[in-house]
Amino acid sequence: MRALSAFLTGGLFGLGLLVSGMTDTLKVQGWLDVFGDWDPTLAFVMGGAILPMVLAWRIAARRRVSVLGDAMPGPARRGIGGDLVLGSVLFGAGWALAGLCPGPALAVLGFGGMGGVGFLVAMCGGMVLAKPLRSRGSALPKGSQMDIRHLTPDYAVSPQITPEDMATLKGLGFTTVIDNRPDGEIPAEWSAEVMAEAAAAQGLAFVVNPIRPGDFSDAVLAAQGAAIAGGGKVFAYCASGNRSSCAWAMSAPGPLSTEERIAIPARFGYNLEGLRARIAALRG
Amino acid sequence: MQADWLWGLAGGLMIGTAGALYLLIHGRIMGASGILGGLVDGTERQNRLERLAFLAGLVLAPLLLAGAWGAQTNLTGNWALILGGGLLVGFGTRLANGCTSGHGVCGISRLSWRGIVATLFYILAGGVTMALLRHALGWL
Repeated sequence: MRALSAFLTGGLFGLGLLVSGMTDTLKVQGWLDVFGDWDPTLAFVMGGAILPMVLAWRIAARRRVSVLGDAMPGPARRGIGGDLVLGSVLFGAGWALAGLCPGPALAVLGFGGMGGVGFLVAMCGGMVLAKPLRSRGSALPKGSQMDIRHLTPDYAVSPQITPEDMATLKGLGFTTVIDNRPDGEIPAEWSAEVMAEAAAAQGLAFVVNPIRPGDFSDAVLAAQGAAIAGGGKVFAYCASGNRSSCAWAMSAPGPLSTEERIAIPARFGYNLEGLRARIAALRG
Repeated sequence: MQADWLWGLAGGLMIGTAGALYLLIHGRIMGASGILGGLVDGTERQNRLERLAFLAGLVLAPLLLAGAWGAQTNLTGNWALILGGGLLVGFGTRLANGCTSGHGVCGISRLSWRGIVATLFYILAGGVTMALLRHALGWL
């Protein structure tokens, strides 16, 4: 399913490149030839491509996870460094030389002849050469999409994480990881068993406390509360972080008021208003 | 051709729709250099199958339809330009962490400053290179 969807999406991207003229190197070079016989077609390609993406980002902002259950990309990275500028200048120069950028370089592989193959091989070579220079950017390792939301200094929630994220959590000082997602709603590669193994490999305590949406039973809350009261830095995840936040609000020991237990998750977009009476009854 | 801009717009909408699907279904940013680069330099071990499937679609769909479409790459026969261009594009996009699709389409559409700055610089550098090669040196 995942591979098929990616295959079809890649195919649509390739056809778009073909239809738009991006696979015609003369057209691309004509667009870059600002001081000569300028061809504005690529401006329409760019504009046309940006329109659906603007809409998609708006939808993405309202969803915590993708259709397939992946965490949405975190906020755009900030900081404009020398790498970004120098890399873009080199890329632009290379783009002009042959008229191909990475997407079209792949799209023409099937019909671009030996020149197209040669370009792709050289491009992959350039990518390997750049590997030692690539900046790490954020505190999270490349490829990690974790979006860690600290409700308190010692309790954080996030959407679904991957087994590889356990090392990062360990590095950030967490000692306990709580899985609040029933296995029925996650792909097998992220099942509680797999995640528990990955946590154990990092020396992290792993608590399986599955919560079906809306089902905050006394047993669930007791287990969440016990894990939090156990001490150390606790990290809890579910599909969006919402259930992990609700369970925290109703079970975390300590002096926080009902108001605070609702207001803190609200900062991260979790709406706990519907649980006000229950939070007050349990923790008020 | 008169209709070039219309085809450009239509193709652009298809590219953007692909990017939108990749974001909403897979939760990932559709950047060609990132998807390929992570596989080529071995830095990203997650979602390998998904990346390979995406690249397979990207290569196969144009392969199947290029004939019917009458597509021409008009690629130069000058190997120095081909290999030099390839090296610079591969190296530069990885250093800058994105190319036309990632920084350009996906970055600008979320008003990312990094995407906007990268796009300005690669178009500027492309324009200057083209002016030098085609008009000052007469190589192209």
